[in-house]
Amino acid sequence: MARTKIVLAGEGGQGVQSIAKILVEAGYEAGKQVLYIPNFGVEQRGGVSIAFCQIADETIGEPRYSKGDIIIMLSDRAIDRCERYVSENSTVVYDTSVCTVKPTCKCKRIIGIDANKIANEKLSARVFNIIILGVLLAATNVLELSDIKNAMEKALGKKFDAKPELRELNYKALEMGMDLVKEKAAL
Amino acid sequence: MVNKLIKEDTKMFLTGNEVLAYAANAAEAEFMYGYPITPQNEIMHTWCKLLPKTEAGFLQTEDEISAGFSTLGGILAGKRAFTATAGPGNVIMQDAQSMAEMMRIPFVCAVMQRGGPSTATVIYAQQETRLTCYGGNGEGFRIVYSTAGHQDLYDYMIKAFNTAWTYRFPTYVLADGYQGKMREPVMLYDPASRGIKMVPTTTALLGEGKIGIDRKSVHMRNTYNMEEELMEVLDSYQKDYDKMAEEVAEYEEYKAEDAEILIIAHGIVARSARTAVDELREKGIKAGLFRPITIRPLAVKPLRAAVSRAKQILFTESANGQLAQMVLEKLYGLTTPYSTLFKMGVGVTGDDLVEKVESMVKSPAVV
Repeated sequence: MARTKIVLAGEGGQGVQSIAKILVEAGYEAGKQVLYIPNFGVEQRGGVSIAFCQIADETIGEPRYSKGDIIIMLSDRAIDRCERYVSENSTVVYDTSVCTVKPTCKCKRIIGIDANKIANEKLSARVFNIIILGVLLAATNVLELSDIKNAMEKALGKKFDAKPELRELNYKALEMGMDLVKEKAAL
Repeated sequence: MVNKLIKEDTKMFLTGNEVLAYAANAAEAEFMYGYPITPQNEIMHTWCKLLPKTEAGFLQTEDEISAGFSTLGGILAGKRAFTATAGPGNVIMQDAQSMAEMMRIPFVCAVMQRGGPSTATVIYAQQETRLTCYGGNGEGFRIVYSTAGHQDLYDYMIKAFNTAWTYRFPTYVLADGYQGKMREPVMLYDPASRGIKMVPTTTALLGEGKIGIDRKSVHMRNTYNMEEELMEVLDSYQKDYDKMAEEVAEYEEYKAEDAEILIIAHGIVARSARTAVDELREKGIKAGLFRPITIRPLAVKPLRAAVSRAKQILFTESANGQLAQMVLEKLYGLTTPYSTLFKMGVGVTGDDLVEKVESMVKSPAVV
């Protein structure tokens, strides 16, 4: 039974929950079984924000899981909070341009990416999370790029229509994110 | 009458809180009273967003004390009203909930449990199990459905209205912050399409014509002068409750028939238990699940039968044995040993349960 368990963690305000919603919406529209739980504290901003997402071919039982297949950590505090979800079979992704430490957990594969730097220098700070969505798409490999683009259209379509260059910017961010994982895989 | 939004089967991808608002509309609810508290806010947000289409009503009160009593007032005025709350809000709404028991008011409430005691977390727990079943200064004349996902939320919210309006005991949909906030696919439907007939809303106090001439007066009491007077009423309630219990008690078994280790869990934890049972069966361990759906009243006969068949029992909850306490009382006289996995205010995963059951195979429970 194919089931992909994702833990996506960052600081409140980094847009973790927004891309989790797009990801699961894409999965739902693609006919997959999906389940998403947002996890956050009482803060409006700041604090660690975690999204637990599952994409599967069959009905999903447990809503929460002990270990994820892919764990994305976007801040030092996210590393602290989420190392517990890492197993020897997990792929860990962390942002080297945000985190000051490297995750020390035992895992199958650890990928350092500099999405925040790329967003700031090459695109826009606002699409940092969309780069991460691209990373997630490439790292999970269970959904098609077109699925994600359709879900983005559903979530952001109105903004895109008002400012068509935003669509291009977001697509570019998505592709750059995917390339980040592919580059690392090629190494 | 309100406008019902779901006229044909509609598959949607929603949060549980959204599902509950749609379900209340499908159950022909006319009015919601509420006060914001995480993780149930989106029930009223959704209810309000739908108001232009449903033409139902909503009142945000100053707190949960008021939300609870306003709900009772709405029902007494002849409206099919409901409310929703969580955590500390559920605590302070108990006075109104007790009044619903005393006056046999068909009060419907969705409870989305969060961590406790007190403010604790806004996320998730099963720590309002005892409170929802037995809170207030009374005997717990309540019906509590514990749901395990979005289809349950829809099905049982509709059912809760029928149960409340049939038996006139306060009725609850007990869920949690995970179910409220998580998104998963759900099938919404018109109850009539499933052969479900909604019990009509009837007026309690108001009516046409003059009292004493055109109709009898209604005297709904919340206060009694004599001890015996009270006991007489409560004895009759208990009789009604016991009779009703046999009709409403629900449970679900999963691979429990030949289970040597039987997991007893309710709500969303029961869903993790299903995952664990499948994994354990693959490993050759005969595990099974007994899930009470009504945690008050419990389906005692099937529960005792399932426990009698098993060699060991495992109680698991995101609380420190609140359900276990209620269940153990009903297992008096049985000697099946049991073990526990309690995580206070924290989700129980399939892996947690697999590990625990494997340890029970190696060193069986003796209690």
